[in-house]
Amino acid sequence: MSGVRLVEAGQAPLLARPYYASGDPGAIVAALAHVPEVLEVAMPFIATTLGASAIDERTKELVILRTSARLGCRYCTQTHTVAACDTGLSRAEIAALRGETPVDGAFANPRELALLAWTDAVAIGPGPVPPATRAALLAQFEDPEVVELTLLVAATVMLNRFCTALELPTSPKMLRRLTAEGWT
Amino acid sequence: MSSVAEAVRDGVLPGRVWLYANYHCNLACTYCLTESDPRAERRELGEQRMLTLARQAAELGFSALGVTGGEPFLLPYLPELLAKLAAILPLVCLSNGTVFTERRLERLRPLAELPAQIQVSLDRPEPEANDAMRGPENFRKVVDAIPRLVERGVRVRIATTVATVDDEERERLCRLHRRLGVPDTDHVIRPIVRRGRAVDHDLGVDAGPAELPAELTITTDGAFWSPFGPTVHGGRLDTDLLITRTTLPLRVPAAALLRLVQARPPGTDAQLNIQ
Repeated sequence: MSGVRLVEAGQAPLLARPYYASGDPGAIVAALAHVPEVLEVAMPFIATTLGASAIDERTKELVILRTSARLGCRYCTQTHTVAACDTGLSRAEIAALRGETPVDGAFANPRELALLAWTDAVAIGPGPVPPATRAALLAQFEDPEVVELTLLVAATVMLNRFCTALELPTSPKMLRRLTAEGWT
Repeated sequence: MSSVAEAVRDGVLPGRVWLYANYHCNLACTYCLTESDPRAERRELGEQRMLTLARQAAELGFSALGVTGGEPFLLPYLPELLAKLAAILPLVCLSNGTVFTERRLERLRPLAELPAQIQVSLDRPEPEANDAMRGPENFRKVVDAIPRLVERGVRVRIATTVATVDDEERERLCRLHRRLGVPDTDHVIRPIVRRGRAVDHDLGVDAGPAELPAELTITTDGAFWSPFGPTVHGGRLDTDLLITRTTLPLRVPAAALLRLVQARPPGTDAQLNIQ
């Protein structure tokens, strides 16, 4: 049971209706639909930040799943475990991102290791990121990528806290996928 | 000129902004959209907020105001507030017409000199049929109140809300309102809308954005498409016609409403003239 009532299709406000046009819009939309003017700007932001962009899909999924697991967000960790499977991450990589095994046991690429260290530091904090962590990242990524990836961590934290605080339920369809893939 | 003002000028957006002054009422009509009754959650907008909304409506280019409820005249400050609002924009205030004491009627005199109308509900030309939907003594109180408003120079409009009305009954109703001092041009007949309490009594027609004029409507819960939007059913506010939760600054919901109206495919603004 979620912390707030999720808005059903029949009660979807006018600005929210496009998100319900194809069926269940998901718990995040169904919660944001309570404030349609926020939904109207939040969803394009989320879609742009977490969706297809100049950064490749695998790299983005590393960041999103790692952040979600470190923040202890059940909803996002479950959802992005499935997304990681679909993106082609290996079982060992997913287990490491979820914090079940050490990261350096599953990842050997210095670029990805630098990114994961950066992700941990930005997501958890508190305070400034260690200079060595930033230096390792900047050695692997250009400034536009650093900006986009850092915002991706921050946006994922935003969603993690939103979903956790409101106890948004993972959809039955997603839970079935998780089980089928051998995850909880 | 603002985009909202242009839209009002061009007839793209209706010019009236509705303000839900409150949701509680001394009556509990069978088809009430807002499930109003004496114990309903008041959802009172408040005097200062209504004045602010009216000023911003005028600044944005809207051309008229509507005040509705519940029964707005249960609010002690309402007669004087209506005069202040009418000094900003032409105004219609809806009422069930049953709470007009002599004192309250006297306090309404200033409206005679202002662009203001009181719209009173009267559904049937005989007491039995009328009161079956609107409660005991309703007919008597309304036909007593209307001439007393008219004789003070206050413009009165009558709204008849019915599922069906045949020609003979319509003619009896018209003879009645003319006798009370209300001309034909100030009488509107509209269908019951299947929202609120009407759902439980299986009354009314379904109405959504295609049927309802896009009149910006402000309540304590947000901004809605049409005064038929912020209905209550089973104690819960309907949000299918909610536009924004933000009501101030008014330009936020006004701009959102305009976007919605402009996004409609051509030809989908056909209406059943539900007003």
